Amino acid sequence: MSSALVFLGWNHRATPLDLRERLAFSPERAREALEGLFREKVFSEGVIISTCNRAEIYGVTELEDGLTPLSRFLARFHGVEESLLLSTALSGRGEVTVRHLFEVASGLDSMVLGEAQILGQVREAHRRATEARTARTVTNRLFQAALECGKRVRTETELGSKPTSVPGIALSLTGRIFESLAGCRVLLLGAGETVELTASLLVDAGVSDLLFCNRSPEKAAALAAQANGRTLPWDDRVSAFAHVDIVLSATGSQEPVVRAEAVKKLLAHHSRRGPLLVLDLAVPRDIEPEVGDLPDVYRYDLDALGALARKNTAERQGEVPKARSIVDESVRKYEEWLLGLSHVDVVRGLRGKLEELRLAELERYSSKLGKLGPGDRELVERITESLVAKILHGPTVGLKEGDPSERLERAAAVRSLFRLDRLDGEKK
Amino acid sequence: MALLPSSLASATALGYVALVCYAISTGFYGAYLRKPRPIFGRAATGLAAAGATLNLVALYARSAVLHSVPYRDLVGSMALLGFFLAVISLLLEIRHRDRSLGPYLMPVVFLFLLVALRVPAAKSPPAPELKGVIFALHVTLNMLAYAALAVACALSALYLVAGHALKGGKSLTTGGAASRLPSLRYLERANRTSLGVGVLASTCGFLLGVSWAWRVWRPDHPSWAFDPKIISVALILAFYWAVLVRAHRGAAPSTTARLSVLGFGLVIVSYTAINLFVSRLHTFYR
Repeated sequence: MSSALVFLGWNHRATPLDLRERLAFSPERAREALEGLFREKVFSEGVIISTCNRAEIYGVTELEDGLTPLSRFLARFHGVEESLLLSTALSGRGEVTVRHLFEVASGLDSMVLGEAQILGQVREAHRRATEARTARTVTNRLFQAALECGKRVRTETELGSKPTSVPGIALSLTGRIFESLAGCRVLLLGAGETVELTASLLVDAGVSDLLFCNRSPEKAAALAAQANGRTLPWDDRVSAFAHVDIVLSATGSQEPVVRAEAVKKLLAHHSRRGPLLVLDLAVPRDIEPEVGDLPDVYRYDLDALGALARKNTAERQGEVPKARSIVDESVRKYEEWLLGLSHVDVVRGLRGKLEELRLAELERYSSKLGKLGPGDRELVERITESLVAKILHGPTVGLKEGDPSERLERAAAVRSLFRLDRLDGEKK
Repeated sequence: MALLPSSLASATALGYVALVCYAISTGFYGAYLRKPRPIFGRAATGLAAAGATLNLVALYARSAVLHSVPYRDLVGSMALLGFFLAVISLLLEIRHRDRSLGPYLMPVVFLFLLVALRVPAAKSPPAPELKGVIFALHVTLNMLAYAALAVACALSALYLVAGHALKGGKSLTTGGAASRLPSLRYLERANRTSLGVGVLASTCGFLLGVSWAWRVWRPDHPSWAFDPKIISVALILAFYWAVLVRAHRGAAPSTTARLSVLGFGLVIVSYTAINLFVSRLHTFYR
């Protein structure tokens, strides 16, 4: 009976959020599930990846149709109808499994194409499975190869190099204007959810001087108390442009709350050092676009940030073929390694290696052996052949013993100890 | 010092080795700008440092062979200026842990040394009056000033390019070479610092030069103060002081950047055209 690499999973593409929430695995639940699968002999190796966008289980099974008992087990484990699970599941055997995991690790299967967090999540899933000893020869190598593939895609392509979310783009532009947010003075206009969220992000990024300015001063004061900032009277909002580094505006006003003419007049009479970044996140806009025409004032609104997000997404799409070719290459390498672990292949490799050594030694002593008579030479030939056969007997039997994972572990050990991979490479 | 080259030809050869180091360093800085791999960055910095060291050794060896200061002629002056530029570039890199200036400064260093190695050397030894501490300080401080003002010019140009890219409207991007430029605030601050160093060094160098000229030129040339070189330097210095004071009072950084580029353009004119073709007294390099 041969073992196979399989996967079964639910991701953002085919599974609605409420079902994904029910199928999510906490680290403890993942361990529990894998232990159950081992107990019921569905898997001999396994790793579970569980993020907010996917719950996927990878493993080695010896069963002819390993996916059916796996889905049955998971339906029981999560208390979800099996038919519902199967109708939304993604699954695969052999190369399909390898390719899927490599695409996941590369960010090709992510909701936001090329996002970086998934690589860390795959690494974490592998770490937990290694700790729980559920990841063994095949899955260990599979996940190591997936991480390597993900890293290559990240460094050799531009798939994840440009941000595609509005906050990510705003942050990227901020980094191009100020070397660090620490020490920046920020004026926040408005007191809604956007301002509140941004204020907490800014505090996390090291900004310590936040000025809150809102039509109703009570709301501004509440936010200032929360973020350890200060308040500014609404009427002083324009004059503050002379001594802040960043202005972020997100009021609910139907009219612009900052006029270009007022800022122009202010900057003509008040000198200010350094560039000024203006982020207008309100709809309709709070700050007149002409403010961006003033020297050293860099103004961006949701339109500009959104356009950049779309542009970057399109550029990421353009990198997909490059990323896929890296995935193809990584899959091919992994498959070659996996095929090399088959019993026949390892024994054949080992036999070839020993035979090669035997012939080399005979060749080395050929001048001395030449002095022997034909009968003696024949005897030496037979002795060395018998020696090789006896050495091979132990590993040949041993490679067939134990459960599938033990057999694969031994095969990998033999290949590594006898340098069979190197031999294969040289032959190629 | 036994290892130093003992002939002018070998000192020049050493200068060419420094030039090659600068050229390869420029290539690595360019590669680093496109793809910021640490190996490219380290190679660029290492080669720039090697180039600067060889540049200095070549200058020293040349001085030893000629028994003269390195800046006795245009060859030495340009090579010394290249050396100061490389040093300032490396210091900024180490100080700010940022290699993004290298791709722009190192080609300038390369050009200065290339010109220094290509122009003919002075045939006659320097006049005896060109020796002495005051003259040496005058030249050294001016070289430092030129290097600092050149860096300020490069920083200003980068500020204008980066600012333009950020205002780019439809062409605005979050990636590409523009995103690897230093931040605007860093460029603005580094520009002010370089301008400050350049203006102070230049002022001191100018005053020392005036004191030397008063002693050496005045007896034979009573109207020495009206030499075009002296007038042009005084005007350029006044211009730079105005730019610096405005910058410290909070002038728009883009205006300071434009004026800094213009100022360095004037420095080049004064250093080359006026020095070589207009000045009557400041003619040491002919």
